[in-house]
Amino acid sequence: MTRPPIVIGIGNPDRGDDAVGVEVARQVAAERLDVLALEFDDPSEALDAWEPEDTVVLTDAISSGGEPGDIHVVDVAEQKLPAGHWSAAGTHAFGLAAIVELARSLDLMPRRLVVVGVEARQFDHGAPMSEAVQAAVPAAAEAVFTVIDAVKGQP
Amino acid sequence: MTHKLTQGDHVLKVDTLARVEGEGAMHIVVHDGLVADVELRIFEPPRFFEAFLRGRAWTEPPDITARICGICPVAYQMSSCLAIEDACGVTVPEELRLLRRLLYCGEWIESHSLHIFLLHAPDFLGYPGAIEMAVDHGAVVQQGLRLKKAGNALMTLIGGRAIHPVNVRVGGFYRLPTLQELRDFRPTLVRARDDAVETVRLVSGFSFPDLVQPQEYVALRSPHGYPLEGGSVISSAGRAFEVGDFGSHVVEEHVARSNALHARLDGATSYVVGPLARYTLNHDQLGPLAREVAHDAGLGDECRNPFQSIVVRAVELVHATDEALAIIDAWDGASAPSVEVLPRAGIGHGATEAPRGLLYHRYELAEDGTILDATIVPPTSQNQPSIEADLRAFVQARLDLPHDELVRQCEQAIRNYDPCISCATHFLDLTMEEQ
Repeated sequence: MTRPPIVIGIGNPDRGDDAVGVEVARQVAAERLDVLALEFDDPSEALDAWEPEDTVVLTDAISSGGEPGDIHVVDVAEQKLPAGHWSAAGTHAFGLAAIVELARSLDLMPRRLVVVGVEARQFDHGAPMSEAVQAAVPAAAEAVFTVIDAVKGQP
Repeated sequence: MTHKLTQGDHVLKVDTLARVEGEGAMHIVVHDGLVADVELRIFEPPRFFEAFLRGRAWTEPPDITARICGICPVAYQMSSCLAIEDACGVTVPEELRLLRRLLYCGEWIESHSLHIFLLHAPDFLGYPGAIEMAVDHGAVVQQGLRLKKAGNALMTLIGGRAIHPVNVRVGGFYRLPTLQELRDFRPTLVRARDDAVETVRLVSGFSFPDLVQPQEYVALRSPHGYPLEGGSVISSAGRAFEVGDFGSHVVEEHVARSNALHARLDGATSYVVGPLARYTLNHDQLGPLAREVAHDAGLGDECRNPFQSIVVRAVELVHATDEALAIIDAWDGASAPSVEVLPRAGIGHGATEAPRGLLYHRYELAEDGTILDATIVPPTSQNQPSIEADLRAFVQARLDLPHDELVRQCEQAIRNYDPCISCATHFLDLTMEEQ
């Protein structure tokens, strides 16, 4: 039996816009039963979540200087993630970009690995997501579906 | 770049020191071939945690102070609980103390394995970082990730989640783990203990630059074993005092270049907290397995080479996994997840051994439990003067090295302390200037 696509939400739900990765994964899980949705607040845990044949989408907050709510889709098999922009509020030493590159070094990459990032503005403890970031959750979930459905059409 | 510091005037700068927790800067001045000054600079504004604890309820410090660090939140929770309970005249029952110790083992396993494998080992194996190291030493990195995951899982089991645990409260916990949950976790810990023993063998084979730390070592000493969740303060110079007297022995001073306070013992002496201090002052309290692997690794009664801190951390990994198993095996439940802690006016002190060293909290409470004053002394601010002293001696003996190699070794020397500068700062830039 084919394993379902995996969507992994990364971030701390209690730190403002850092919640967006988890929120997108939850939205995906609410809308699609054919997806395995997981949540991690430590990106290094994501490494164990997939098998080589899996399709994996990582959703996370990004802080790259863009407008809050901007959505970035990066096919990690095609290009490296820019270091320093991801998991801004996660473990300081080993963020999402480092984990993806570690997976590459360890030859642990899944068949398809795509990162859907949402530009974030604030990571205040206990704060809700800002409006622009909250508003981007449905579109980010759509971006996840696009990735998953494109893979489904492939052999 | 191959020129040397002894070859004329120049300013040498490295933008970022990677693989430390947080951000800061090191500035080294060389004058006529002599190291004139070494400064650890901290840029981040003071974190105001002490200020915004004032006016909050006595029940809140475990959750608020856990936010100071994503790597050692349990340390903040444990020290704050002890201090509040001290102020309120409460001591938690033995089974809750053991559960705290078990949670703390999880944090040590997580934090030490992150530092040993992903942050520090690349220095010894000659790689710029863990990602590059993983290409040639995949099994080693995977072993580290497995250990880290076991630590996270233990923190999740006892603390509710791995980063900023939510199950800790003043007086104990919100929920007790079930006996079945603890037993089900045994295989993970057995594997982690095996991995930890392997880790000691691996890192004890590294080459260690010569450096002897002359400073006084300070750690907790506990009747309950290797120091973790409490104890009184002792030092390698024979000082011994209760945690309640910490404030009269340790003086924090503002230093112009830094937003973090620098701690001095009895006003003048710089000192070291952390794995080397713990080991030197408490190696007799290690479990039998940890003692055995420490002996096999060539560690004696004391370890004063900070580069060997990676070996001591690995020994502590063995101890933490072994002790976690012992606590689980002996566990037969607790009567309640917490005891009531009623507020009263007073002052309380608490100290525990964070992975990086002794972490002290002090709270003054009003009659209704409102926090009137809070003091937090993290391990890295206690170690700062000693990091500077280490670097001064270290650089002086290596001025002939090519610049890049000298900078690399300096970075490694700073990482010896596993500085959790995020507890007080961010980013570490290294600047070397010759006058």
